[in-house]
Amino acid sequence: MKNYDYEKHVKGESQFVDDLLTPAGLLYVHIFTASVAHAEILKLDYSEALKSRGVVDIITAQNIPGENQIGGIIQDEPLLADNEVHFIGQPVAIVVADTVLHAKEASGKIIIEYKNLPVITDPRLAFQKGELIMPPRLFACGDVDNTWSLCDHIIEGTTESGGQEHLYLETQGAFAYPLESGGIKIVSSTQGPTQVQRAAAKVLGFPMNKVEVDVTRIGGGFGGKEDQANAWGAIAALAAWKVKKPVKVILSRQDDMRMTGKRHPYSSDFKIGLSKEGKILAYQATFYQNAGAAADLSPAVLDRTLFHAVNSYYIPNVSVTAISCKTNLPPNTAFRGFGGPQGMFVIEAALFKAAEIMGVDYHKLQELNLMEEGDSFHYGQKIENSTIKRCWDETIKKYDVDSIQKRVDEFNKNNKLYKKGFALMPVCFGISFTNTFMNQASALVHVFSDGSISVSTGAIEMGQGVNMKIRQTVASVFSVNIDRVKIETTNTTRTANTSPTAASAGADMNGKAAEIASRNILDKLIKVACDKLNTKDPSLITLKNETVFCNNKPELSWNQLVQVAFNTRTNLSSHAQYAVPDIYFDKDTNTGKPFAYYAIGSAVVEVTLDCLRGLYEFDSVKVVHDYGKSFSYVVDRGQTEGAIMQGLGWMTIEEVIYNENGKLLTDALSTYKVPDIHFTPKEIKIEFLETVENGAGLKGSKAIGEPPLMYGIAAFFAILNAMKAFNPHKEYKLSSPITPEKVLCEMYSENVTVPA
Amino acid sequence: MKKEINFILNGEKVNLEVAPGEILLEVLRDKLGVKSPKCGCNKGDCGTCTVMLNGKTVRSCLVLAIEVNDQEVVTLEGIMHSGLTPLQESFLKHNSFQCGFCAPGMILSATELLGKNPKPEKREIQEAIAGNLCRCTGYSPVIDAIIDLTN
Repeated sequence: MKNYDYEKHVKGESQFVDDLLTPAGLLYVHIFTASVAHAEILKLDYSEALKSRGVVDIITAQNIPGENQIGGIIQDEPLLADNEVHFIGQPVAIVVADTVLHAKEASGKIIIEYKNLPVITDPRLAFQKGELIMPPRLFACGDVDNTWSLCDHIIEGTTESGGQEHLYLETQGAFAYPLESGGIKIVSSTQGPTQVQRAAAKVLGFPMNKVEVDVTRIGGGFGGKEDQANAWGAIAALAAWKVKKPVKVILSRQDDMRMTGKRHPYSSDFKIGLSKEGKILAYQATFYQNAGAAADLSPAVLDRTLFHAVNSYYIPNVSVTAISCKTNLPPNTAFRGFGGPQGMFVIEAALFKAAEIMGVDYHKLQELNLMEEGDSFHYGQKIENSTIKRCWDETIKKYDVDSIQKRVDEFNKNNKLYKKGFALMPVCFGISFTNTFMNQASALVHVFSDGSISVSTGAIEMGQGVNMKIRQTVASVFSVNIDRVKIETTNTTRTANTSPTAASAGADMNGKAAEIASRNILDKLIKVACDKLNTKDPSLITLKNETVFCNNKPELSWNQLVQVAFNTRTNLSSHAQYAVPDIYFDKDTNTGKPFAYYAIGSAVVEVTLDCLRGLYEFDSVKVVHDYGKSFSYVVDRGQTEGAIMQGLGWMTIEEVIYNENGKLLTDALSTYKVPDIHFTPKEIKIEFLETVENGAGLKGSKAIGEPPLMYGIAAFFAILNAMKAFNPHKEYKLSSPITPEKVLCEMYSENVTVPA
Repeated sequence: MKKEINFILNGEKVNLEVAPGEILLEVLRDKLGVKSPKCGCNKGDCGTCTVMLNGKTVRSCLVLAIEVNDQEVVTLEGIMHSGLTPLQESFLKHNSFQCGFCAPGMILSATELLGKNPKPEKREIQEAIAGNLCRCTGYSPVIDAIIDLTN
């Protein structure tokens, strides 16, 4: 299937926010931000800055006409700091000038004085001091306390997983301009236009109908533009309102890295109890989530950690607690996987350590505990149509894991300075927003009198191919050539109250809404055809390849049908809503059926470690994944590979480092390493599991955005296995990312000499 | 003080005044309306602003506009003469890009490589593309597209 967006990409014609035509008289913003992580503001003097060349205005919290508040789930995040600052990079003042350079120059002349307050960057310390975003959350089933005595092995430990910079290649940005109606239009690089609209309306004291948000496409999101695009949209809108001119805000890469939140780092404790055969009988974990200075999406991320705390394993007794800890870092936010990867990392670490202590293979222990059809998760949802075991068995068989084992052992016997390791990773990831109300989408479809079709939905195209999927869906409803279908920009005046394009559910939900709207029009067109062709039985009318058949006889072309419909004053537009059926979750008991279905698969990752330098190369990543009835092989493969790469990066080379003062030390691409082309595994194999249509997904497919990221977790344990082959006498920390630096420090920390 | 510069941009003569501190990327995008080079980092790390200067790729965020006086600059807009080049076709066929932000720079780096070496090995492709970051794909469809073209 050809992706029409991609043709624009290869011609360089795809337009991002900073490429779009802007109204005349455009002004630019530089944001003056906090330079300390926690302080009272004693003095803010911008009188000199106001006189700086090209400056039009400087806006602070005092100038906000509405509420100085952009918090989504919890109202705890001011747009502009007022009295206090809570993290380095927190916006304090908006400098508006005729050029970016002039705005930046003026920003340097703002004088701010602080009274420093204690800075907390460690979530466990925040917990000790009672600095929490919300009360801890507990998901439990069975009776953990009374099960420990039945266990033959009880293993306890601590894990760390690091943050991750989204590094969408297009930085955050928006432009806004005043409208004749007195309202504001914002063109934003966001995954959530409604969220930007709501934030800007609140800041301006406007009803939502006075704020219009439009999105053409975004240059990557990965969750980083789900809630965190709100501030820049609201800042552009506030400035445009104040100076009554068009205003653009594009963050520089360094500002973006300093000012925006990342994947949540977690520090966790686990206790796992197993029978002598290796069955997990009880699992207990406490997750300390480093939320940063405001809630942002942390509460929802926290819940997903708890949902996925047992990954693909059946555990009869579970007690998992998650604590969202408030620290003086930028508010951490959604990132592909949304807390799921952090939860899965801990159970995998627990199993890895259990295997080590029990003297069995890690993957054998994984295999022994995989869920069976009909098993329940600790929150009550049963797994139905499970392909967990099929994917796993297929991975073992197809990629011959036994021979990988032999090859690795053989290699390690024959090599002193290079060691190989491998690990497997099953993934079972719930599809649906965990906040049930968010599982709705809407679409507006027009059929024009010339037969062309326009589709608006709440979905944002960010490279994941959602526009192509929706286009294909609509074309198939009408049985017309796909070229007739145009996907419009995502705009809040055409689709209102949208959920962000997130949770891997964008295509499922928006595609189904577009499908319903298209069917509404199709029903009317069939009625028109009945009248025109003098039949009373609509079942005799079919549309195929742009032709209307009556009783299998071709009668009208698509264009003729539409023309007749228009002439007979038929409504050729439809707006439809789709609400994901049969999902519910009780937030008091933490039980229910929160997910429409599960995305499932397994992977095996093989690595070669250079034990002298700490560097590693991935020999292969091999996957068996259940895509349902795949919509598009190339799109699904592309999403899978991209997610794996991000997962590998998160576990290995991507290290977000803040110093104890809350200053980000990795604020550029020279200090924060993301996978480049050399990092690509030597071999990537992806097997599409033969399976049935998934009724809950769009046209039988399954969501694909997030789940494969978690295959990357196997990389960590593959590297640990290689390290164990080099120095088996060492107990390695379960701390990711396992950078080459850390590999060396760990392997050589106990007077280990380099083998001759 | 502004200085007048003349250069060839995508085959056409360009004449304009620039300030000494203005960088080529800004001049291309904001003054000449050539939007395919993108600003991904402004520090020469990500490769999204890649253009060709006298046939060699440069990071246009690291080049001063006055440096291109009397030189020849080609952006992605300038490599297409009669429709897509075979390289662009191959990238399209392999779905080598997702969000598309890195595409213009990546295509120019690959174009330079193939100009020098029509049958590159995988390692040579990796070397040529190493300065162009992509956060969406994992790079293998980029490698595949180039290899496919050379076969």
